[in-house]
Amino acid sequence: MNRWRCVWGVPLLALALCATGCGVTVPSDPQGTLDRVRSGELRAGASASGDLVTVDGDDVGGPLAGLVEDFAESVGAKVTWTVGSEEDLVDALETGDLDLAIGGMTDATPWSARVAVTRGYDSIPGARGPVVLLVPLGENAWQAALEGYMDEQVAP
Amino acid sequence: MGRTDLPVEQQDALRSAIRWEWFTIGYTAVTIGLIALVVGGSQAMRTAWIEDMLSLIPQISFLVALLFIRRPPTRAFPFGHHRVMGVGHLVAGVALLGVGGDLAYEAISGLVRAEHPSIGTVHLLGRTIWLGWFMVAVMSVIVIGPFIYGHAKAKLAPKLHNKVLYADADMAKADWTSTVASIVGVLGVGLGLWWLDGAAALFISLGIMWDGWRNTRAAVRDLIDQRARTEDDARVHPLIARIADRVEEFSWVRESAVRMRDMGQVFHVEVFVVPTAADVSVDELEEARSAVAHLDWKVQDVVVIPTFTLPDEAERAQRQPSSTDA
Repeated sequence: MNRWRCVWGVPLLALALCATGCGVTVPSDPQGTLDRVRSGELRAGASASGDLVTVDGDDVGGPLAGLVEDFAESVGAKVTWTVGSEEDLVDALETGDLDLAIGGMTDATPWSARVAVTRGYDSIPGARGPVVLLVPLGENAWQAALEGYMDEQVAP
Repeated sequence: MGRTDLPVEQQDALRSAIRWEWFTIGYTAVTIGLIALVVGGSQAMRTAWIEDMLSLIPQISFLVALLFIRRPPTRAFPFGHHRVMGVGHLVAGVALLGVGGDLAYEAISGLVRAEHPSIGTVHLLGRTIWLGWFMVAVMSVIVIGPFIYGHAKAKLAPKLHNKVLYADADMAKADWTSTVASIVGVLGVGLGLWWLDGAAALFISLGIMWDGWRNTRAAVRDLIDQRARTEDDARVHPLIARIADRVEEFSWVRESAVRMRDMGQVFHVEVFVVPTAADVSVDELEEARSAVAHLDWKVQDVVVIPTFTLPDEAERAQRQPSSTDA
């Protein structure tokens, strides 16, 4: 029994040690989202929600959209907005056509099985609860950069 | 017959085992709480977390079974309540097998669908820190406990001839592999190797299933009265041969054979004897019964049956039990 587990445990351990020794950044993105955004474009999706996210034609506004634009600027990128329903945005995040999506989603959002959900921020003007931003699953460096920025701007 | 009190050495071992089981439950409750704080989106962490919850079942069934096996035999339960230990063993085995299978399915389907695990950050003392570091920290701390209580219980299990305690200790001793696997999974996610999380989860869940399968098989075999084996199920219990040899020392016995089953902590023994003469006195039978009962504290429920021929399936004297056939 113990022998059986060791047969598997040792290579896993060796792999971990070798991987940590390679000097890669932790966390990182399997799809390289953060690196790609840094080179210029942040593809963001917006779904209108009260005063938090306002949509007028192709113009996206509101406090949360402002935060996303400031975040894009902080990593040297410009935001390209896509407007759609929440499900459209989630689909686009899954297929890799969007890097980020905002709307009236809170930390109780049912989309959490299909996309990654940031921590909730409840001090954004117009928020009706802990507001979350949606990002693609598994892009952990990207999510960490976004959460880090949000913490600086709106954390209590 | 079917005594429920223990000799001094076994009483001490049992008291110590109970203390260790309570300690383990307390320790595991703390680790479950700690992991709950950091479990996040890692399937490997979730699997290790559920494994921790499952690891409570053997301890709880051991403590519950102890309440029952102390009861003396009654008319309604003429063999005592020793088998409760076996039932606890079976429940623990089936639970491990079922939940382990479910977790293995989750891990495989996550890998097939190429679900990339997301691990976010936490905001602590004004800094944003990746949650994965906390996962690694928590798992590195809790890896220590099972080494301590696993070895302590492994020492007690043979003294008490208790298979639940033995299985519990055996699983605790192998627990570090799950903890290390979850750390590997989380670090893999950190490096962008998303599949390493699912692979680690699969490894942990296969370990749970393996524990479940072994325990279920061992418990079922004892419940359907296989020949008694040592507490680690490694070989036929040596007491069988000793009993048959002891009975054949009596001059009125021509040959003897033994059927012995494991009731949990104690054995139930049937000794078949072919007497040299056609008539056997009650005194002689009682003498043989008492000689067997004096061999070991585990063999108190003994019946001696005079017959003309020995049943084939009973273990003969002078034949060293083979350890190969199960």
